[in-house]
Amino acid sequence: MSIEIINITKNFEAFKALSEINLKIETGELVALLGPSGSGKTTLLRIIAGLESSDTGSVIFDGEDHTGTSTQDRKVGFVFQHYALFKHMTVFENIAFGLKVRPRKFRPSKEVIRQKTHELLSLVKMEELSNRYPAQLSGGQRQRIALARALAVEPKVLLLDEPFGALDAKVRKDLRRWLRKLHDEYPITSVFVTHDQEEALDVADRIVILNQGKIEQIGTPEEVYDNPANPFVYNFLGNVNLFHRRVEDGKNIINYSRPHDIEIRLEEDEGEFTLAEILFIRAIGPIVNIELKRLDTGDFIEAEISREVFKDLGLAERKKVFVRPRDFRVFTPDDYAI
Amino acid sequence: MKDKGFRFILIVIALSFFLLLLIVPLLSVFVKAFEKGWGLYYAAISDPMAIKAIKLTLLTIAVTVPLNTIFGIMAAWSVTKFDFKGKNIILTLIDLPFAISPVVAGLIFVLLFSTSHGLFAPLLNEWGLKIIFATPGIILATLFVTVPFVARELIPLMEAQGTSEEEAALTLGASGWKTFLLVTLPNIKWGLIYGVILTAARTAGEFGAVSVVSGHIRGLTNTLPLHIEILYNEYQFSAAFAVASLLTVVAIINLLIKNFADWKIKSQNKLSN
Repeated sequence: MSIEIINITKNFEAFKALSEINLKIETGELVALLGPSGSGKTTLLRIIAGLESSDTGSVIFDGEDHTGTSTQDRKVGFVFQHYALFKHMTVFENIAFGLKVRPRKFRPSKEVIRQKTHELLSLVKMEELSNRYPAQLSGGQRQRIALARALAVEPKVLLLDEPFGALDAKVRKDLRRWLRKLHDEYPITSVFVTHDQEEALDVADRIVILNQGKIEQIGTPEEVYDNPANPFVYNFLGNVNLFHRRVEDGKNIINYSRPHDIEIRLEEDEGEFTLAEILFIRAIGPIVNIELKRLDTGDFIEAEISREVFKDLGLAERKKVFVRPRDFRVFTPDDYAI
Repeated sequence: MKDKGFRFILIVIALSFFLLLLIVPLLSVFVKAFEKGWGLYYAAISDPMAIKAIKLTLLTIAVTVPLNTIFGIMAAWSVTKFDFKGKNIILTLIDLPFAISPVVAGLIFVLLFSTSHGLFAPLLNEWGLKIIFATPGIILATLFVTVPFVARELIPLMEAQGTSEEEAALTLGASGWKTFLLVTLPNIKWGLIYGVILTAARTAGEFGAVSVVSGHIRGLTNTLPLHIEILYNEYQFSAAFAVASLLTVVAIINLLIKNFADWKIKSQNKLSN
């Protein structure tokens, strides 16, 4: 099912949560709503689910206006940030809930509900835990039950609010892959909210970057990472070094450069190298993180180089080296104030 | 441990305090009640006037407890699950009966519904209705006094639980009523029982407000506490204590259920963390 957001605005008293959001999500896409806290991403997700009403604008599913449809009738699967499992029900009862509460006319028989619930339990690989209560499960297990519960009603849209936010790093990564796989196997349109750019870049087909209630950029992970539309997006998607420069016509220019695009040399070559002192080195794994301080301006620079280059150069803390951004982007500060 | 002695003294003091102020008086009710033997005890509680008082108290409970339970749930629900203007006014009003002396509460109803000088006297006289010095007045006064118990019990509980489980139920297609029945109610079950027990206990024992509106008409408008007072004033001590022992037993049962509910709420909270 495709989702179309047209001109959605939402205010919480004086706070502008969303202003004039327009967005089209195609059938079968996995889209990430990415942004810092307070950017309106969760509000947008809740408006799509009908848990929140917008002040203006409409929500269209498959070309049909559902702005006024109640949550119950929207038939969207929703996975809550803190799972929101029914704590007085077992895992089995939690998953079966959506089928059990259907009006009698549409309710499947007990046997069908049982079968369907077991199918979902095996999908999330939790069959042996069906009689446990949510309190007896780990965070990752609860999250998978929450997913199975949402899928039980066969929604055409799956909405996930910070689905992995409360989990530790390892479980998070596993579940992320698992969600991607599930999405590929299940005919469903998914939208998930996250503040973790790595998560969004890793899982999503397309990323919608939100900031202060407005969409900053929409695009595939490659598009938004390689061609960020503005300094905010550049900043938000990864670490960034700023190089202030003054060009001929007197204008101030800022070069934005990623740590992995910083080049380090021992001797000054032709080109725009500046002298810097190495403050700190973290050499764990194949990538070595180096923190430097420019001697001319005192600005700090973060660099990431491979272990090989690091060894070849023989870098050490307190050593003075020459650095330059190998690759950078320019946003004139007059256009964007950050 | 050096302060073992101190701990011992502290515990002894606390225990003897409880013994002296709570247990001894409680036991003395029963001692006094059975002072003149089972025969008189039975006579006192099977006295027609006593039976009528018991019946009136039970009737009051039967009307007050369900009404205040429903109202309490509705108030707690609206205050905790919705955001609206005037929320704080409702919260303050719920507490009003706690703040007002029961005698004043009783007087309020006399001022409103008395057939001689009440605000609604002309209307009541025209329709031939009697509220003060009759059962409706007793029920009204009791309703007023026991309004806060269920709501007060539920509000913090429902506030702590938030709305996410209800929202989850809605996204799964459950109707509002089913969401309440299958999700909210099981979560607040023990808090609700706790509140109902407190309401019932207060209803059975309420003296001040009921005393003002009842008129003390024997066999007609005397609840158990009022009946006890009359017996006591007539120097029928054993009979008074015999009837009082009934209320005491009810109180003890309430206390036990309350403790059980309390323990259940705690273990439920532990589970959800």
